[in-house]
Amino acid sequence: MIRLQDVAKVYDGGTVAVRDVDLEISKGEFVFLVGPSGSGKSTLIRLMLRQELPSEGQIWVAGKEITTLPGWKVPMLRRSIGTVFQDFKLLPSKTVYENVAFALEVIGRPKHVVRSQVPQVLKLVGLAAKSDRMPNQLSGGEQQRVSIARAFVNRPLILLADEPTGNLDPATSVGIMRLLDRINRTGTTVVMATHDHAIVDAMRRRVVALERGRVIRDQSRGAYQMDVEEPGESEPDEPMTAEG
Amino acid sequence: MRLQYILEQAISNLRRNVLVVFAAVVAVLVMLALVFGTIIVRWSIDKDIGRWDDNVRVIAFLSDDLSLEEIDAIQSDIQAWDEVDDVVYYTKSQALDEFREIFFDQPSLIEIVEEDPSILPASLRIKPTEAADYSTIRDRLVVVPGVFQVSSADEAIDALVARAGHMRAFALWIMIILGAAAVVLIANTIRIAIFARRDEIGIMKLVGAGNWFVRVPFLLEGVIEGIIGAALAIALVWAVGGSIAELLSTSTAPGSLDPPTDFMIRQALILLGFGAGTGLLGSAFGMWGFLRD
Repeated sequence: MIRLQDVAKVYDGGTVAVRDVDLEISKGEFVFLVGPSGSGKSTLIRLMLRQELPSEGQIWVAGKEITTLPGWKVPMLRRSIGTVFQDFKLLPSKTVYENVAFALEVIGRPKHVVRSQVPQVLKLVGLAAKSDRMPNQLSGGEQQRVSIARAFVNRPLILLADEPTGNLDPATSVGIMRLLDRINRTGTTVVMATHDHAIVDAMRRRVVALERGRVIRDQSRGAYQMDVEEPGESEPDEPMTAEG
Repeated sequence: MRLQYILEQAISNLRRNVLVVFAAVVAVLVMLALVFGTIIVRWSIDKDIGRWDDNVRVIAFLSDDLSLEEIDAIQSDIQAWDEVDDVVYYTKSQALDEFREIFFDQPSLIEIVEEDPSILPASLRIKPTEAADYSTIRDRLVVVPGVFQVSSADEAIDALVARAGHMRAFALWIMIILGAAAVVLIANTIRIAIFARRDEIGIMKLVGAGNWFVRVPFLLEGVIEGIIGAALAIALVWAVGGSIAELLSTSTAPGSLDPPTDFMIRQALILLGFGAGTGLLGSAFGMWGFLRD
């Protein structure tokens, strides 16, 4: 479903964000990208979304080599990928329903599709009763559910999540992870960048650990650290803030 | 749905930045009012000059006491000059017809002349081989017996042509400067609109909205600004254009230099297209480098 081959990304100033990355993710997998801030997690996500082009290497997403994809085909690539971010990226002037419907409307889905799909996906994320609320009337966890609904409403093959629990308390995070797990069970490939130890250790899914732009570990059913520690014993090695 | 969405976006963009949009529209308005005004004035001047039809530039008025044979002799004499291309004899009655035409709106003048048609002299209308020969012809005519007065159109025409030429050059420069200003101002409104909607645009791109679906509302916004400016310019010039033309012309008949309506409509349509083009160019500049994937 996703394949990176010898991928490197060097920014204009000479900063190396990722290098020598070889990674293959199969359909239906759930993969955590872990590592400290600046280790290259977000860069990998942006590369898969073709928000950036790699300096070297090739990337295949959903059967297409995307580094040579012409600009006008990029929207088609993005329609097969759902995205969720730490800051939710909801439109504050639209209701919950409108925020989700927006994703279908702007890709030209007919009205009847919007009318049937949006309530369905809002029910899936548990917000059917709040579809007329504005984002600022919702809790952080609820806002993230809206953003997951928006990412999933078009039934993408892949869901990319960049620190989706970064702004949420642990209890709320568990709910979000349950939701992502449910989406994964529908056959959607989920790639989630995080530095939330508790979540990674609890879920026991494939872990790809990054350090200074390189993959230092790729382990199925892994934990956040190489040597498993008791949950809660290890201090997070960085504050829980957005990474640049 | 999509068309409706695109229109709604364009219109809400326009409302959001009323002041900046106003500046852009005014720039288009002034630029196109100048273009339109220049077109009308030029039309009027062309018509004004055209009254000296077929490049007749020298008129020799003949004494009333000449016989037809004498006139014939003078005509063939002048026709033989190197500087002269053609000579046409204008009778007293032709002169009267012409007078009626020129002063159609001043019946009292026509009345006086009609009472005594003989006060309008017969004349020879002379077309020079080269336009610049008029002064030589005039000098030679003055001493021809039977010619009591020589009139040439040269000074008036030359002055008019020069005036029109200067004005056109001046207007052209102002148009270029204002055109550039209009494009920049429209580009600015588009940038502001893009900035105001950056979150929305970001999400649209993320969920895979087509590139043109994102761009078209902004292009349309510029085009609407350009068309509004053009429409206002047309309204303005339509209202006051005639009086400008009159100020600049040598005609004595008010209203005789107003361009016909079908000419005005044709020019107005071209102007609307021009306004739309200015808007499109401004939008394109405004989006440059901003709405890539």
